[in-house]
Amino acid sequence: MASERQIAANRRNARKSTGPRSGAGRKRASSNAYRHGLSLSITSTAAFAKQLDKLARKIAGDSEDAMVLERARAIAQAELDLARVRRAKVALIERASAFGEFDPPRSFTSVTRIIRFLNAFYPGRVALPKPLDSSATMPRQEPGRSAEAIRRVLPDLRKLDRYERRAAAQRERAVLDLCDRIKYGNSS
Amino acid sequence: MPRTNELTLLPKLPLLTTESADEFDALCDAFEQEIKPRGIIEQMYVHDICSIVWEILRLRRCKVVIINSAFRSALANLLVQLRQPGQQDFEAWDPARKLAHAWFTDKEAKKQVSETLGRFDLDESAIEAEAVRKSSSELELLDRMLTSLESRRNKALGCVAEYRASLAHQLRESAERIIDGKGVLRLEDAASERSTAA
Repeated sequence: MASERQIAANRRNARKSTGPRSGAGRKRASSNAYRHGLSLSITSTAAFAKQLDKLARKIAGDSEDAMVLERARAIAQAELDLARVRRAKVALIERASAFGEFDPPRSFTSVTRIIRFLNAFYPGRVALPKPLDSSATMPRQEPGRSAEAIRRVLPDLRKLDRYERRAAAQRERAVLDLCDRIKYGNSS
Repeated sequence: MPRTNELTLLPKLPLLTTESADEFDALCDAFEQEIKPRGIIEQMYVHDICSIVWEILRLRRCKVVIINSAFRSALANLLVQLRQPGQQDFEAWDPARKLAHAWFTDKEAKKQVSETLGRFDLDESAIEAEAVRKSSSELELLDRMLTSLESRRNKALGCVAEYRASLAHQLRESAERIIDGKGVLRLEDAASERSTAA
């Protein structure tokens, strides 16, 4: 068990670790968990706001009940989130199919440095190695090419699957809420 | 045939450039004819089911291709393992690769491979087994994704039934309310109101 002294020291240290203090630091920390933006709400991109409203209106039907409208909006949002994840999946596969991989060779800068260094000793005899062309390792014909692209992005697709399941679950909950609202809202 | 229902409001499923939009539409039509969705929510579920089934088909195709494309290196592996006694593995790799390459097109090579496999009581299914073994990590990942998709498809089908049952319940309640006369002005009430006023 921690002694009184240790507890006091822990508290003092904890006071020092309260995260970033400056505006810039806080702004940077706010995007610490940002990877692909799929967990962001769809309304955060203005382009989708109109589509969201249209779909929500269609789901709510003739109802002017604010609660029904709000739930219809939740369903529409989850539906558009689902569509966004599906688009991301297809885009990943297409990109892998076109380029073979996502990340360009990383050691380029350091290789350049090595070659500059070697050139100092053996001028004109050391050439830059050509970067590997990942697309050259892709099958040229279908369906092999698409299958290879899917194989290469499988771990990413699996991650996206998690977001897709979450959006689907949100939509199901919202539909149940809407049904409840219509059921109990009408009888009250 | 262009789709002219409420799906126009729903976001379209993006397809790979190698996939056929007509085939996807045919799949949607088949599901719509089977489920006969009413209203946007049911349409949404049917659209979801179609998207999931399309993805299941895509991954199943991919699974087959992954196994097929592992055949050549699987055969080479197998031939090195079944090399002549006394032959070193580094000596066996080059001829094994050449034979594995020729196996797809050359009858003689096919015969030679069959004989080699036969010496160890094996047949061509051993090549397939090796191809599956070599691609097992990818196949496992694919299987997990397929299981997840299949469970979501079943859930979506259940959701359609659940939503429909809930809607039927609401309609029944509304009909009963109307029959019971709640909210409907009765004739005798109106008559009594008139006599009181007079």
